[in-house]
Amino acid sequence: MNRATALLKYSATRLALAPIMLWLISSMVFLLLRVAPGDPVDAVLGNRADALAREVMRAKLGLDQPLFNQYLNFLNGLIHGDLGESLNTQEPVSQIIVKALPASLELGLTAIIVALVIGFGVGFTGIARPEGKTDLAGRLYGIGTYALPPFWAAMLIQLFFAANLGWFPVGGRFPVTYLPPEGTGFLIIDSLLSGNFLALKDALMHLFLPAGTLGFLLSGIFSRSLRVNLEKTLKAGHIEAARCRGIKERKILLFHALPNSLLPVLTITGLTVASLIGGALLIEITFSWPGIALRLQEAISQRDYPIVQGIIVVISMLVVFIGVFVDLLIALIDPRVSY
Amino acid sequence: MTLLFKSKAKAYRKLLTLLATSLIIITQTSCKATKESDRIIVASKGKIESLDPAQANKLLAIQLISALGDPLYRINESGLLEPRLAKDYPQISKDGLTISIALREDVLFHDGTPFNADAMAFSIKRFMEIGTLNYVIGEKITKIETPGPFLIRLRLNKPSSSIKGLLSSINLTPVSPKAYLEHQDKFLNKKFIGTGPYQLDSFTPERQRLIPFPRYWDKAPKNLGIDYVSYTTSTSLFSAIKTGQVDVLLSNSVEDGHRLALHKLSKKGKLIEGIGPAMQIGYIAFRSNSAPLDNKILRSALSYSLDRNLISRKVGYGLREPLRSIVPPILKTSKTSPWPKYNPQIARDLFKKAGLCDSNKVTIPLTFRSNVPADKLLALTWQEQLGRDFSDCITVKLNGVESTTVYKQLAEGAYEAVILGWTGEYPDPEAYLSPLLDCTKSQGSTCLEGEAVYGGTFWASNQIKTSLEQSENLQGSQRLEKLSEIEFLAADGAAILPVWLVKPRAWAQPNFSRPKFDGNGRLLLDRLQKAINE
Repeated sequence: MNRATALLKYSATRLALAPIMLWLISSMVFLLLRVAPGDPVDAVLGNRADALAREVMRAKLGLDQPLFNQYLNFLNGLIHGDLGESLNTQEPVSQIIVKALPASLELGLTAIIVALVIGFGVGFTGIARPEGKTDLAGRLYGIGTYALPPFWAAMLIQLFFAANLGWFPVGGRFPVTYLPPEGTGFLIIDSLLSGNFLALKDALMHLFLPAGTLGFLLSGIFSRSLRVNLEKTLKAGHIEAARCRGIKERKILLFHALPNSLLPVLTITGLTVASLIGGALLIEITFSWPGIALRLQEAISQRDYPIVQGIIVVISMLVVFIGVFVDLLIALIDPRVSY
Repeated sequence: MTLLFKSKAKAYRKLLTLLATSLIIITQTSCKATKESDRIIVASKGKIESLDPAQANKLLAIQLISALGDPLYRINESGLLEPRLAKDYPQISKDGLTISIALREDVLFHDGTPFNADAMAFSIKRFMEIGTLNYVIGEKITKIETPGPFLIRLRLNKPSSSIKGLLSSINLTPVSPKAYLEHQDKFLNKKFIGTGPYQLDSFTPERQRLIPFPRYWDKAPKNLGIDYVSYTTSTSLFSAIKTGQVDVLLSNSVEDGHRLALHKLSKKGKLIEGIGPAMQIGYIAFRSNSAPLDNKILRSALSYSLDRNLISRKVGYGLREPLRSIVPPILKTSKTSPWPKYNPQIARDLFKKAGLCDSNKVTIPLTFRSNVPADKLLALTWQEQLGRDFSDCITVKLNGVESTTVYKQLAEGAYEAVILGWTGEYPDPEAYLSPLLDCTKSQGSTCLEGEAVYGGTFWASNQIKTSLEQSENLQGSQRLEKLSEIEFLAADGAAILPVWLVKPRAWAQPNFSRPKFDGNGRLLLDRLQKAINE
């Protein structure tokens, strides 16, 4: 079997496993929500509603049916792309997700860019002078940012830059006094598309602290990973050979060592992107960022089952597919990977 | 390699300087400059998922609906019932079973349709059909009639003196029958077509934009509109008012530390503080149907053991008033406080009478809502205080549970002692006494069905039940005396232990007039204005 056929087979296997993984995750979420304490009827009616009102609401929400029937209805809806309706607002869950997801993607992707720029900068300048002061500072930075509790760091950053200095807005995604440009839901893109540079500036100002904080917290992983891999690669035989051939140290670092050190960083980036889609909760809460993680947290506290299920299914889908995509990408570009 | 960037040091410094300069330039032209000065930004915590009065059961939504709609009556700043959409006070028949209300004839809904008796009847019927709190009026009103175009008649199943207060409930705010025709049996969450001083211009759960309704029947708002925004944390809210990013901040869900800081800022003149009538009470419910708290003497001992002044200082920094009643003072059931003061000597005697102290010590699990910071602090403080005063008699074991779970498990009898809060659904003592004490089926002093079960006390008193029924036939001071009597009976039963009273507060920027509240504790958004315009 040649490499191309093997890669194709590997890709097909990975993609075929994805729906099974999604089914397992969504089934687990369905069951966990049902065994968790708290009643969605309470969330809608309050706990003092009389028995009749509760019964009527229970039937209206379909919670009077046997659990297995509820599960079958849930799976049937999922297969047909119907994530159900919010118990509280009767709004389709898909619409809720469509509204919240761009905010999270905008935050997450910007944070990744920030993290990559800082992480690469710190990791790369560190290895330029191994064991020097810059390197030591870079290593401390990597450990420090990784160890910082996100909510604490976010709150301090918010208090300093927003509350004390007043340089940036405290929270939200756009100024409260006027409406954001409409379109894709990505405010940066929508502002650019509408040619509204004032809106672009406002969107960036609101994005700066949350994305900066998240990027700052994540940058340590990238700087550590890049530095460790670069260090390993610089000791490899082909680098020694290049030095013996008289190639300049700068060229060796940039064109011989760096590409070989990027593969593990690519894996980390993929995993980070995937986890960020639903995992930036503390940042979203601190900065009142109306993203999907914040929506999920609210839905959990309200016991709004369909929203929780829908969001987790969508996040799982993205995580699974990004994981598959990164694996395939690595398999494609790294000849050492066997499948 | 080590010298790779040595020669670049200067270039880096320049780059950094350039970056820092750019940052300063960008930040100094931040969003503050884009703020419209004519509109007022009011901030609070938590999203508003629905603006349907039939659905609204959260303080935030009720606050907003009170600016978008008018009730039949409202409790004014002096605590008195004041007709709004009603032309006059309700006329009650001699048998107390019929209430006639004449309505204003000059009122328009935001969609231009006239307000009349049919519209009022439509709204009340709609609430009785689908309202999440419909049981509040469903138990009282049996029929709604419209004998005239501006006259509505409510038939009751039994006399009810609390109905007047109930008619000021925001949940009975009329909505336009034309606009809600297709939503007669389902909620309309993101729109609101009422008769209030403002109309809804745009809605997202995080932000609602209100503009003055030009054809409003009463005085026009004193501002050009309100942007009602929500933040997710108390820190964000605090920072937003401190930096001037919002004009007015409501105290709902602002943590006590921030409340104190804002209070201090207002003392220094950096903010203007408005305080409303206290409608929210904090209390501890004791499960009275099983050991150890089925022992009334032990519950009484606990009533004497709570040092409310210490709690008020340590938890509320003096901003939560100690409370020895379950009805807020503005509703005036009695001049005296039915629950006993902190008295460690009497408490110790009672603990001993219950067979405790010396070699016998009881452990009581105290549950608090883990997502309510003040509850946690109260639990910790009381635990410490009991440890200080009665370490040989009682130990409190703390148990933090998220509030949704607490409310779900209350009726299941999951908690021996639990810290809770209550705000009446309408401004009447009955809205506190019934939900906390009423019991429809009991056996001895154990409640089997009714509000006492939902409230987690499982405590019943036939005398209270009879007195509550009697109070519905009384008016004025006689009624208040009867309600006061109920409170004393409840204090004697000691299944509930009132702790504190929370006054609503609002802070405005120094260039604003003082925020004002109505008698229900709701901020009067239409009265907010820049001080210079006064």
